[in-house]
Amino acid sequence: MVEAPDFTLASVASAPVSLGELIARGPALLVFVSEECPTSALTLRRLAPVAPALLKAGVEVAAVFADPLEVAARTARRAGFPAAVLSEPPPYEVSSAYGLQTVPTAVLVDRGGAQLGRVVGWDAEGLQALLAEAVGGDRAPSLGREPPLRKPGCTAKCALDPELMARLDASAPFDELEEMFERGWTDGLPVIPPTPERVRAMLGGRDGDLSLGTVPPGLGEATVARVAACAVLAGCRPEYFPVVLAAARAALAPAFNLNGQAVTTQPAGQLVVVNGPARELLDLNCGIGALGPGSRANLTIGRALRLLVSLTGEGYPGRLDRSTLGHPGKLGFCIAEDEETSPWEPFHVERGFAAERSVVTLMACDAPLSISDHRSTTPEELTRVLGWAAAATWSPNWWPLGAPSLFVICPEHAAMFRRAGWGKDRVREEMFAAVRRPARELRWGETTPQVMAARDEDMIPKWSSPDDILLLVAGGEAGRYSAVLGPCTGMGEQIVSEEVRWNT
Amino acid sequence: MEYVSPFDERRRAPVPLARRPAGMAGARVALLDITKRQGAQFLDRIESHLRDAGAETFRLSKEIFSKPAAPEIIRRIANRGDLAVEGLAD
Repeated sequence: MVEAPDFTLASVASAPVSLGELIARGPALLVFVSEECPTSALTLRRLAPVAPALLKAGVEVAAVFADPLEVAARTARRAGFPAAVLSEPPPYEVSSAYGLQTVPTAVLVDRGGAQLGRVVGWDAEGLQALLAEAVGGDRAPSLGREPPLRKPGCTAKCALDPELMARLDASAPFDELEEMFERGWTDGLPVIPPTPERVRAMLGGRDGDLSLGTVPPGLGEATVARVAACAVLAGCRPEYFPVVLAAARAALAPAFNLNGQAVTTQPAGQLVVVNGPARELLDLNCGIGALGPGSRANLTIGRALRLLVSLTGEGYPGRLDRSTLGHPGKLGFCIAEDEETSPWEPFHVERGFAAERSVVTLMACDAPLSISDHRSTTPEELTRVLGWAAAATWSPNWWPLGAPSLFVICPEHAAMFRRAGWGKDRVREEMFAAVRRPARELRWGETTPQVMAARDEDMIPKWSSPDDILLLVAGGEAGRYSAVLGPCTGMGEQIVSEEVRWNT
Repeated sequence: MEYVSPFDERRRAPVPLARRPAGMAGARVALLDITKRQGAQFLDRIESHLRDAGAETFRLSKEIFSKPAAPEIIRRIANRGDLAVEGLAD
């Protein structure tokens, strides 16, 4: 009897797994593999369909990778391998203890810890015989006769000369940025690789194992470390992380219904609005080009949240994210309010926070629609221009919207309201009163039940209430271009604000 | 190179597909209206076909189409139904 050397190895699915656990209830089939080896990939693909039957028959199946855990997880996922996935670090002492020369090598271990047999390389007949031994004769699931029936394996890493390995590693062309694309850790743009050092710096002493909850729609768990990995990938500086965490907490609040937003065919992304001292501390741009490129803080904070949704939450476009068109803000969508230029109380104060607090507010928003108005001379005129621009948001005949519209008012337009002494409520009420149309003009194409039920001459407003008109101030001091951001509708979601916690 | 994965790599156990019925005769079929526009029309048509095939049907509605069904709805489907049809719509 050849005894199977014991081991405890990191597992993709659980806490570290020992040989003792694998053979606790019956025999175990250990399949030693490596990501670089095509024969290993072939073996995993061919074993994948029979693994459930083996597990059912009481045979544990484990792929033992001579690769890091995340590489093992990715390779197993691609092969559709449904059983345990373990990772062995260099210098591959377990592989050495099993006397491995080649991967793949399948080793059958019985409940008493004895090696019953092994198959080296891909050998369909040999492996079939091993499976028969594992489950006892005819009950073994069939590997099929699909060619190739035999394929030589690759040299096991433990069998390579360490000096030669080091030289090969040093000369191998390895492009970290391409590696990130290879892993799918991207939104389509290059990312910063989340090395343990960078993630540690991002965490800033926080406990990376703490969980913020699960991220819809795929329900991956948002540990603080994974949020930090997303922040690194996005290009955040560590000082941005408290704002990213606040945005993540807001996004995961059930009231926000990220689940619906993440999978809808609508274009909406998650807009992050930042108010309070964080803007100056982090150099967030609320001035010229506030909705555009140019500011690392705005772009990377918004991007970190979107990466959390699309990677940890698996809401990736074309997979669980079914947005027909999407919009550029789904790469990252973060704006700050120019509270100092605004004639009004800041957005977060309106939402019940003290002015000196830093607050992140999340809304589901469509892309910005620019509104040029260089000619209005009164606030009444300007209000009508802004409001009627919003009339076509979502759909031209969908009145009332039943969801909020966010107006980003540029400083020159804001100045006109300041001079006239118009508060936010006045702007809202005037706009609400101005933007309405008779029902008969709205009865074509996509329209609302309210329009269908109304009499022809009934005047239908664009919004259900003045409260659905949201206002904040941002942008460059010159140029009379404001913008309106349409809603995500039908989500039953609420706007959610979270205070930035700087030290936790 | 070692990296910190943004993915939750824990494998979720695959849920096996339920056993397929041999026929519809006598089957109790839940029809779940997700409350999206025109979804009820789709379910009306399906319901008519199912009844013609001898199935017994019953209807349920989600509170809102954009959120997962409440556990109570799922429980009611599981307790009373052999099969369920969910109608996406627009």
